[in-house]
Amino acid sequence: MKKNKLWLATLLGAQLAFNSLAADNTDTNRDSDIEALKQQINALSQKVEALENQQTANQQAVTNAAGGQIQELDQKVRVLARERELDQEAAVAAAKAAPKLSVGSSGFIASSADSNFVFRLDGLIQVDSRTFFNDTAIKSNDGFLLRRVRPIFQGTLYRDFDFKFTPDFAPSSGPTVFDAYGNYRYEPWLQLRTGKFKTPEGLEQLQEDVNISFNERSLATDLVPNRDVGLQLWGDINGGVLSYAAGIFNGVGDEQNSSNAAFENEVELAGRLFAQPFKSSDITALQGLGVGVAGTSENGTSGTKDLPNTTGGTLPGYTTDGQQQFFAYNATTVANGEHWRLSPQGYYYYGPFSLLGEYAISDQGVRNTTTGAEAYLHNTAWEVSGGWILTGENASFNGVTPLHPFDPHNGQWGAFQVVARYAELDIDNAAFNGFANSATSASAAQAWSAGLNWYLNKNIRANASFSHTTFTGGGGAGTVSPAIVTRQPENVFFTRIQLAF
Amino acid sequence: MKTLLKILLVLAFAGASHAKEIKLLNVSYDPTRELYTEYNAAFTKYWKGKTGDDVNVSQSHGGSGKQAQSVINGLEADVVTLALAYDIDAIAQQAKLLSADWQKRLPNNSTPYTSTIVFLVRKGNPKGIKDWDDVVKKGVSVVVPNPKTSGGARWAYLAAYAYALEKNGHNDAAARDFIRKLYKNVPVLDSGARGSTVTFAQRGIGDVLLAWENEAHLALQEFGADKFDIVTPSLSILAEPPVAVVDKNVKRHGTKEVAKAYLDYLYSDEGQEIAAKNFYRPRNETIAAKYAANFNQVKLVSIDQEFGGWAKAQQTHFADGGVFDQIFQPQN
Repeated sequence: MKKNKLWLATLLGAQLAFNSLAADNTDTNRDSDIEALKQQINALSQKVEALENQQTANQQAVTNAAGGQIQELDQKVRVLARERELDQEAAVAAAKAAPKLSVGSSGFIASSADSNFVFRLDGLIQVDSRTFFNDTAIKSNDGFLLRRVRPIFQGTLYRDFDFKFTPDFAPSSGPTVFDAYGNYRYEPWLQLRTGKFKTPEGLEQLQEDVNISFNERSLATDLVPNRDVGLQLWGDINGGVLSYAAGIFNGVGDEQNSSNAAFENEVELAGRLFAQPFKSSDITALQGLGVGVAGTSENGTSGTKDLPNTTGGTLPGYTTDGQQQFFAYNATTVANGEHWRLSPQGYYYYGPFSLLGEYAISDQGVRNTTTGAEAYLHNTAWEVSGGWILTGENASFNGVTPLHPFDPHNGQWGAFQVVARYAELDIDNAAFNGFANSATSASAAQAWSAGLNWYLNKNIRANASFSHTTFTGGGGAGTVSPAIVTRQPENVFFTRIQLAF
Repeated sequence: MKTLLKILLVLAFAGASHAKEIKLLNVSYDPTRELYTEYNAAFTKYWKGKTGDDVNVSQSHGGSGKQAQSVINGLEADVVTLALAYDIDAIAQQAKLLSADWQKRLPNNSTPYTSTIVFLVRKGNPKGIKDWDDVVKKGVSVVVPNPKTSGGARWAYLAAYAYALEKNGHNDAAARDFIRKLYKNVPVLDSGARGSTVTFAQRGIGDVLLAWENEAHLALQEFGADKFDIVTPSLSILAEPPVAVVDKNVKRHGTKEVAKAYLDYLYSDEGQEIAAKNFYRPRNETIAAKYAANFNQVKLVSIDQEFGGWAKAQQTHFADGGVFDQIFQPQN
């Protein structure tokens, strides 16, 4: 633009200079020349203006085209960004819909995204030692043992159906099924369970094996059933403020673990009510209080399968903390007719303090198959146990979780708990009128125990305890249990390493 | 001993009959969040006054088809308030959670309010979009959710299809071509109506949003009337979002009575007022007249008349291999 104007000025200046040099030309010629020059200048100006307009138009066209492209690109970028955003949302949604797998202190858990299907693998391994003192009459009862070796398979199907399967590989007789049941959970307060599981009776027996205070349960548990096959309606109301269970079972003798099949005409009825009235209250000192009562009843007991277990001996009978038989029925004694049990029970947990107690009655009809004599025996037992966690953790019926799991590199040692227990079991004296031998079997046993439990973490526990049991009666001649057991008090030192996950 | 066991059982079941805290879950479609937030507060107050009980209503929102599938898969809805009857039919047929005649239980085919599909355009309507023909023009970018997952998208699709049928003398091939052009202009498909509103209003994508009428009004309220305009096309569809109690779930939860009352109350004057205030067209004529200014006049066609009902429309257009699958080509 500036160049065009400079060119015009130069041209005009040259023309004027030429005119001054040719001063002798005529006026007419000069006027026509001037007019011609003006026309040339106008023509040139128009050309310049046209060029300028063309240039502006070109610039505008370029600007418009660029604007459109920018807008188009902007939309494309926005669409790409939004698609990326939607992809991320879809990925999050897909992750939520994907099955979940977790491995941790609670075991191996595989779950569908909606948790309607859950499979969980837990395990329990208990390696014990028992060392008896001052047991001159008994030989070969010390040593190490695998007390429990149990893989535990449990889970949920279709949201409301639970299952549990627990074999135990510890028994020398071979693998044994302990729990094998299905459970329909309509609501927490209304559930139906069928299969093989613990009869709802003894409080200590119902506590999970991983959480019991000592290596072995007390004398009171001698009088309650272990696991049985049956059907149970049960539930926890208001989050466990009140729990109930009512079931029909094949029926087993005291402390018996049922076989997988038992065909007989009579069944055993069992029921339990347990209340934790302050569980949901603001009274923290009473939140851990629970009281209840449980009972069983069976009319048609018969044979030896409805008598107590043969643990620690060869005949049905009752055992000490050291799992030695201190009472045995005679070989000619069988169960006969009615057998009922009743067990008032309760516990109290507050901070590191724990207290658990129960009373057990087991009334059993018996018959001497040789003489035909019959009797109805009233056997009773009770126990009370307490504990204190030295490291400040809260005690509970469901175990102890260390605040500072074992990690010596960082000065953490886990949780330590001291525990003590006293228990008694009293056999009806009528049992010795032809159904048991008073010379060899004790008519009563009294046991106290004390121990130290070390919870390294949620999964590993080590404990040691000492148990002292005295007997009333028995101690006569004989080379097998119960004579050799009741001949002197039982003093046994236990240790255990437990891995539970 | 047996007496003792009986006493234990009686005591146990006496304890089991305690009162439960009343909780309801309303599984709904995408744009009803605001409607049910306001309605739940009103119903809670009403129910407290009537029975003395507290009721806590939870809401779940998403694309109507996705929500129905969630209920089929186990989401414990006490009531469903979805975008279209087909989605509740699917729950009845596939999961058997309610009877097939659920739509006869409440007035107006269990649809306490209606709605339709309108256009939301940018302020000043720079692309000059007045009717469906403008939406399919080359160079117009259209935002609408995926009809496979969104009830609102299915209504929008059918509204456009109905317009094309009417314009072309019910020539189905021409209508399909019209729909093909429309979806060729769609740069991104969200799974639900609320997602599409975000795409259009917040992410600045597109020239026009095919929206529920209530969602378009909500966008004006939320993002400012100086940013968008609502354009009502010459023809649209009568959208009837239905409601139903999920029988098996309420039976299990013990919430049958309160769930039924919850839906009944949608037909009350207060329920209808709340619907109208949230730009849903109320069934109650008096209240509809009171809020007439909220709703532009538009010729509405029904799905029964134009498409032979939802079952047929679903099978023809939205089932796998249906018309939508045939005409839609993702742009990337």
